[in-house]
Amino acid sequence: MAAVMETTPARAVSGRTAAAQGAIRIEDVVKVYDPGGAAVMAVDHCSLDIAAGEICMIVGPSGCGKTTLLNAIAGFHSITSGRIWLDDQLLCGPEKPLADPGSDRVVVFQNGALFPWKTNLDNVAFGPMMQGRMSRKEVYEKARGMMADAGLSGMEHNYPGELSSGLRRRVEIVRALMNDPKVLLFDEPYRALDSLTKSVMHEALLEIYYRNKVTIFFITHDLEEAVFLGHKLVIMTSRPCRPKKVIEVDIAHPRDYGVLTSSRFRQIMDETSEVVHEEARKSFAAGEKEG
Amino acid sequence: MNTPASSTAAGAPPWRGAANAPTTVPGSASSSRALEVPGVETYSQEWICALLRSTLPFQTLPEELLHAVARLARVRSYAAGQVIYRRGEEADDIHIVASGRVRHELLAPGQERLERTMHSGDVFGWAAVLEAPRQRLAETTALERTEVLQIDGEQLLQVIERDPAAGSVVMSRFAAMITREFSAPASVAARVRHLNGRSAGPAGVPTGWALTMYRLAQWLKSPRPYLMVTGFGILLTLWYLTVEVWKLPRFADMPGLTVVVKEMFSQDPTYGLSVYTPEYYQHIWASVRRVGIAFVLATALGVPLGLFLGWSKTFREYVFPVFETLRPIPILAWVPLAILMFSGTESPVIFLTFLASFYATALNTMLGVESIDESYSRAAYCLGASKWQVFREVIVPGAMPFIFTGLQISIGVAWFSLVAGEMVSGEFGLGYVINTSYTMVRYPTIIIGMVTLGLVGYVTSAMVRVAGDWLMQWRVRELTMGGR
Repeated sequence: MAAVMETTPARAVSGRTAAAQGAIRIEDVVKVYDPGGAAVMAVDHCSLDIAAGEICMIVGPSGCGKTTLLNAIAGFHSITSGRIWLDDQLLCGPEKPLADPGSDRVVVFQNGALFPWKTNLDNVAFGPMMQGRMSRKEVYEKARGMMADAGLSGMEHNYPGELSSGLRRRVEIVRALMNDPKVLLFDEPYRALDSLTKSVMHEALLEIYYRNKVTIFFITHDLEEAVFLGHKLVIMTSRPCRPKKVIEVDIAHPRDYGVLTSSRFRQIMDETSEVVHEEARKSFAAGEKEG
Repeated sequence: MNTPASSTAAGAPPWRGAANAPTTVPGSASSSRALEVPGVETYSQEWICALLRSTLPFQTLPEELLHAVARLARVRSYAAGQVIYRRGEEADDIHIVASGRVRHELLAPGQERLERTMHSGDVFGWAAVLEAPRQRLAETTALERTEVLQIDGEQLLQVIERDPAAGSVVMSRFAAMITREFSAPASVAARVRHLNGRSAGPAGVPTGWALTMYRLAQWLKSPRPYLMVTGFGILLTLWYLTVEVWKLPRFADMPGLTVVVKEMFSQDPTYGLSVYTPEYYQHIWASVRRVGIAFVLATALGVPLGLFLGWSKTFREYVFPVFETLRPIPILAWVPLAILMFSGTESPVIFLTFLASFYATALNTMLGVESIDESYSRAAYCLGASKWQVFREVIVPGAMPFIFTGLQISIGVAWFSLVAGEMVSGEFGLGYVINTSYTMVRYPTIIIGMVTLGLVGYVTSAMVRVAGDWLMQWRVRELTMGGR
């Protein structure tokens, strides 16, 4: 059975952060935007625990403020109050509202952010080259190896603009993994893909995940995607954003597309779609814009 | 589950995930499994395309070419136990399993026997894309009722050669597949054929010269050059008719086409200036030199200024209002000040030319920095880049397309303000030729000066464009891809 539970804002923190790295703890985070005096609450007392190596899917209608949360973890936006932890390290809190962006938390962007002026190989090598942790030779050896593992050989010297959008996403994930991150932050990366490509990308993503167990914080508004990929679904209320329901998906990994037709999958979809739909309706009624 | 997907879940390379693609293609949507596609005739063009798309070699082929390749495909079915081909036979076709299973026993030279089972979406028979002699290296047998797409290697090469960039990716992926999936020695993969003499290896990506020649060939094949010639023809004919044949009022005093051409190519020109006189080249050189100095200065100062204006908000607050106040002042308004500020005849002209170029370059560079998607710098910070690294690796290359747009405008306005400057002061140069020819009633020479200005201006502008293409291969290739 799926453990379906209602969450309260300041939910008790579980102690699952022992050995593995990459646990995220979001404690009572509030984000208020203040454009021209009119305070808009984007995130409202949000608390969330993500265990190391877990795939956590954040589901909510467009513009509900999920991206604000991701930006706070990544260090692109400050928070108004609350704390965000990565393992024992405080990323941001009252004394330091803006986290430093770092290669332990790499974002895969909504519209893709491969540098179009660099070849795929140079893109993949970018992180370690900038950090100067390894010699150029080592970096490029690793980059070639990782591209080959992801089925990208033969494309090293092409530019991203020459690839299909699905392959570009794959290159971008490989670029992120080159840094051995603790957490991958996905900002609706497959939003623009057609459903056929999407299904291929999902399996490819799981494949990569099984090889490199990182924590995945994945934002989406596609419930099917969320149930298929996630260990845990967090359904968000529409603006201001707060977890409404947390659902553990008890379908065993490794998963493949066969899961989509299983009765358990359908059952979880049924249990959740009503909640999601309700939020979408509220958000639509409130006339939220993309954001 | 026994959909094709589940057999490929763990351990298989990720691209293989696409092998179940055809099951969801319209037309076969009612059927949940590829294997259920009943007869040969139901393989629609879309289905074949989707199957090809799921293979490593054809994965990235542009849509149009993929359809052309799909049209080459023939479907053959084999009964269980039937031999598809034997080692040593002539290798004409590459094979792609559509349904069923095939046993593939590879016996590459100097290697032990390698046995594999091929499933839907697997490519074999790749000896057909090797350099001659093309002989089968493997023994292949259908393990059950199997349908196979066959594509003639020779025809395939002809099709993908239409697009050398995409074609060489196909060939290099064949090479990768042969070594990685079939564990064949590198010496076999090295025999994968080359397109237009290009290497099929990873270095076989077209760059620089090859790309320029390709584009030139494409241009000559298009109607554009012939329309261009027609356009010039119409202009010259109108000139000839209005001045020399119809002698329209006001036009009759103008130098005619034949007079100008005769004067321009005369060994002994009536008014002292033709392509045979050294003065002609002195004037050109004087102008080119002034534009050159002004353009280089404007670029060297304008690009950094524009980059910092776009990058630093504080810097912008100080400088941009000043910049925007000075910019609308026409270049001609600067003439008196230029003559007062600079001594001699040379430096005032160069200053005026510089000024116009500088504004265009700086402004476009600034807009270029502003045009860069914020996710690029965010991604760079995420990947551990410092502020300075972001500037060097993201801001500068990201602004490059706009910078070169700016330089194109800059070289254009440089010529414009040069002529203005040369008409006011200066002893040599094409603007000077035009101005003095007017006062000394040498009308054909005016036209010679004008035509020369047009030509030289066009050449310098083309040089800027070529430099831009050379520096921004990524963009050229993106545009070539998009323009298909």
